[in-house]
Amino acid sequence: MAEQKSLLARLADTKLFHWIAEKILVPYWAWRQPTAKKPGGPPPAIQPSQNVQHMMNLVMPLKDKSPIGRAKAVQAVSQNADEIFAGLDNVGTVHFARFIIVDGNLCMISVYDGDFTNYIRDFIATIGSVFDAIVEQIEDGDQVIPSEKNVEAFIDWVHERDMYQAADMAGEVVQITGHNADGTPEYDLRSLPRDVILQLNANPNVSLGTGYRAYPGFSAAQIREKTGTGW
Amino acid sequence: MVDDTPLARRLVDAIISDYPDHKPDTRPVHTIGIGVKGYFIASPVARNYTTARHFQGDEIPATVRFSNGTGSPVERDSASDVRGMATRFHLPDGSDTDLIAMTLGEFFTRSTDEFLELTHSAQPQTVQAASWWQKLVDMLSFRVPLPDPPPGDGKSGAPGLMHYAQRHQFAQRGILQAASIGAPVSYARASYHAVHTFVVIDENGLRRYVRFTWQPVSGVRNIDPNATPVNQYLHQEMRERLARWPARFILRMTIGDVGDALDDPTEPWPTQRVKVVMGTLYLTHVAQDQQADCEKLGFNPCRLTPGIEVSSDPILHARRGAYQESQNMRGATACPFHNEAS
Repeated sequence: MAEQKSLLARLADTKLFHWIAEKILVPYWAWRQPTAKKPGGPPPAIQPSQNVQHMMNLVMPLKDKSPIGRAKAVQAVSQNADEIFAGLDNVGTVHFARFIIVDGNLCMISVYDGDFTNYIRDFIATIGSVFDAIVEQIEDGDQVIPSEKNVEAFIDWVHERDMYQAADMAGEVVQITGHNADGTPEYDLRSLPRDVILQLNANPNVSLGTGYRAYPGFSAAQIREKTGTGW
Repeated sequence: MVDDTPLARRLVDAIISDYPDHKPDTRPVHTIGIGVKGYFIASPVARNYTTARHFQGDEIPATVRFSNGTGSPVERDSASDVRGMATRFHLPDGSDTDLIAMTLGEFFTRSTDEFLELTHSAQPQTVQAASWWQKLVDMLSFRVPLPDPPPGDGKSGAPGLMHYAQRHQFAQRGILQAASIGAPVSYARASYHAVHTFVVIDENGLRRYVRFTWQPVSGVRNIDPNATPVNQYLHQEMRERLARWPARFILRMTIGDVGDALDDPTEPWPTQRVKVVMGTLYLTHVAQDQQADCEKLGFNPCRLTPGIEVSSDPILHARRGAYQESQNMRGATACPFHNEAS
């Protein structure tokens, strides 16, 4: 028996099986078991402590992925540093925000308090011109600029590019797949690996969990107050 | 026919029935353990949250029993299993208060009826070996293969447990965690969760719903699951560790928020909740008398002190009677609830 298992385990580790799994099995199961793309960003919450320190993980493919295009993106961010700092202070709900370029994508990573739509809306009001300069470098970005005249469309555009935030633990995936709420048919837990694979197939860019925090449950404003750094 | 057996006895009997090799006069689960001694010092902020005596900042002597989760008398330290950490704080007035925690983050069931059904499902049954063809199909389906029959009589409670989880969503999180929990390199290198919600009361009478977790200062680390199994290493490792330096644990208290599961130990609280460091436990030496300071001790999660109360969690309430029943059955040291808060 152990020998049979070992043979199968060895087969699973071969390049041939990896190729079959990627090219045939995943598409086949994606067809058999359609799995929807998940919405980006954190799930809605009403609890005070869950409405602070939300993560935004924006992945925006650059129109021009060459070094020249990436340099334009760098310029769009760096020449607006004063505007960004002023905007962050004025909005007051951001713990940190940063831009990174990864494989031809300009990414904006931030941690903010409160509702996502209001977070973006506040930034459009304070530094909409900076968003415009940045989004101009992004695929399909032209349709939503100037952001001040396309506020709701801009918010939707950002939301679509915000990463899906997967559950903190593998066990949570069962809950997310929506299977087997009490009273519904059984959920075969042995299928959990397939559900995870199909979720990642539908959501190639994923934030793993909701993050790890040194000071959970506190807003940027509370921390400023407690540290005596004011407004 | 109505079962007249008291609930506490039925709970203990149900657990024991899942371990055919269980030895009378020992604990029904967490049978193998080691007692250690040390002290706890509360953090400067702990007293802001509770008037409980052991959170006022002075040195509180403590006795801790670490254990493997199984009710089998056979020590298999490298086996994947839940581990326990039962802590007794010896308060200055001569009373005691306990905090019982385990490496599992959530419990399996929400009520005693569900727990009895779970233990019934986990009765050892003969495991049929899957054919190589079934295993191949599972592999092509990205499914976890059925486990091979265990050595010996080929019986295991795992399939019944898994079947229970498939029918009950609330049990899935705990059972999945337990199935993959592994074995720590040391009892001092695991996090232990008290699982249930408690109520802490501050000097103004403000009541907060909280959960407690011990976090090891030396960090969490498991053994390599593919390494050759070693039946006994955890007790010796603890002796050697404490001979060199105290082992330390930080007690972290998570404060619940609106809408959190206050009476459901199967439901975790979101990670964004406010967490407070309540103090540090210093474990200094292994107890000399393992019978008196470990095996004969009767811990109880409801042995509390003013400033901390139980929540309405029905499993927590049931554990009070079940632990007492278990103590009576195995002749443990009687410890009356002379300092209980509820």
